[in-house]
Amino acid sequence: MKKKMEPWLFLLPVLVILLLLFGYPLINSFIMAFQNYKLTAPNDIHFNGLDNFAKLVGDPDGLMILKNSFVYVIVSVLGQFLLGMTLAVALKKQFKGRGIYQSIVFLPWAFSGFVVGLIFRWSFNGEYGVVNNLLEKFGLIDKNIAWLGTPGFSLAVVIIAMIWMGIPFFAIMILAALQSIPTDVYEAADVDGCGTIRQFFQITLPYIKPTLITTVLLRTIWIFNSLDLVVIITDGGPANTSQTLPAYMYSKAFGSYDFGFAAALGVILMVILGIYAMAFLKLTKYDKAGDF
Amino acid sequence: MSRKAKNAIGTTIRVIVLVFFFLLVVLPIYWIVITSFKTSGEILDVNNLTFFPKTFTWQNYTDLFEQFNYGVLLKNSLLVSIASALVVTVFSMLGGYSLARYKFNGKQAVVLFFLITQMIPGILVIIPLYIIFSKMGLINTHIGLFIYYVTVNLPFCVITMRSFFERIPITLEEAARVDGCTKMQSLFKIVFPIMFPGIVSVFVFGFIGAWNELIAGSIFISTPEMWTIPVGLKTLIGKYNVEWGLLMAGGVMALLPTALMFAAMQKFIVEGMTAGAVKE
Repeated sequence: MKKKMEPWLFLLPVLVILLLLFGYPLINSFIMAFQNYKLTAPNDIHFNGLDNFAKLVGDPDGLMILKNSFVYVIVSVLGQFLLGMTLAVALKKQFKGRGIYQSIVFLPWAFSGFVVGLIFRWSFNGEYGVVNNLLEKFGLIDKNIAWLGTPGFSLAVVIIAMIWMGIPFFAIMILAALQSIPTDVYEAADVDGCGTIRQFFQITLPYIKPTLITTVLLRTIWIFNSLDLVVIITDGGPANTSQTLPAYMYSKAFGSYDFGFAAALGVILMVILGIYAMAFLKLTKYDKAGDF
Repeated sequence: MSRKAKNAIGTTIRVIVLVFFFLLVVLPIYWIVITSFKTSGEILDVNNLTFFPKTFTWQNYTDLFEQFNYGVLLKNSLLVSIASALVVTVFSMLGGYSLARYKFNGKQAVVLFFLITQMIPGILVIIPLYIIFSKMGLINTHIGLFIYYVTVNLPFCVITMRSFFERIPITLEEAARVDGCTKMQSLFKIVFPIMFPGIVSVFVFGFIGAWNELIAGSIFISTPEMWTIPVGLKTLIGKYNVEWGLLMAGGVMALLPTALMFAAMQKFIVEGMTAGAVKE
């Protein structure tokens, strides 16, 4: 009996914390999503059915925010993936100083979204920003662009910052996967006269596929949920054109204190993520989710 | 094309790629560092942007400490980050050990549960926690923030710790037991010392996770003497006026500890990040 309890005993602190501080609040959130719950009217908290969800449909910006979120996630993941993969392939072969090089190039992983947001907000500043300055010096533009004040551009800056921040994570994961491929596979392919490009598609990619799947899945979810870059760089502006779902939740919850509406947004976010995760694992035939 | 020519082209492309990524990372960092050493006049001189400070000044840094009380923010951030990272490390060692060394009913479910927590938007948990913490008097306390950081950083760290345990052959533990060690002795004398780099990197994960966090901090903390670094610095971004010199200096100071930790521990951190995802 004692033996049977042992693993649970070790897990107890973790499970208690997670159930109490993740599970319980989450249940509260789901209940709140169906309530009129405004912190500005604490005496008027009551169930209101699907009103909060209807509010999103009626919200003139609702569709745009949803679209922004998808653009933001898809472009960021794609950019991080392609650049991270390029970096990883370039790093695969040992060279002198690789350790130091990695310590520098992987640095953004350890950076906070807050400071990264600052760096990009400052660089893309319309008046004093270095980006405008350089573009003018190279003759690409002839007057300053208000990056953060122009719909479309402001979201692009957020995406650029997100890509910059996330390249190391992809590179680190893919590099580790590349290094786990036994070298004799390539030697054999060489002997058979299989070219570099074919080797990449027929040996390298299949080998690292499980890692790619895990990394893309986890990162997509992480990026979808992350909001500090949006909050710092544009705060959703101008006029919500760079707003994403979680950032909008944040502003609804702690700007206008409409907890019910914010919770409803969160429920929608989770449903989207849930469908995504299941579809992704099915499509990639990677059902053994418990494996990573 | 000869093999030699092919190799030469390959090497050239690789060098170009490596230089590109180097500049991509270094230039933005250079820019924030260099801005932090400029006078505010030079920062806001629209017609004459300088790529190296004309007058090099520590003013932004001294202002940060003397007028903005950065010392307090630093103390608060260190306190919350170190405390939560320590607790996360200890609990992950326990949980990770259990998942690595035991077979039991419900293990898959536990792992799945950890993964699901990774899918939940933090803000969705923060909203009800705000109400719960208010009722418990934990708003605007470091304890509330500490509890939140432990919670959000735990799942990933447990999974990572499990992989570190799995890499150590169980036979090593068994041998120690045969030689008369108790379970605890074999853990503390054999297993933990071997795992030390892994333990440190989990600590770093916990620390960085808390140190870098902005959103929960700015929701749970409301008074200046309780601010953590990101929370305090964020107040420098006004609607119409942004204190760029101070912000850049503050940003550099905020990056330093995590950058140094990462540079020093890069090899182990990378191992920790990939241990779970890449099966060898």
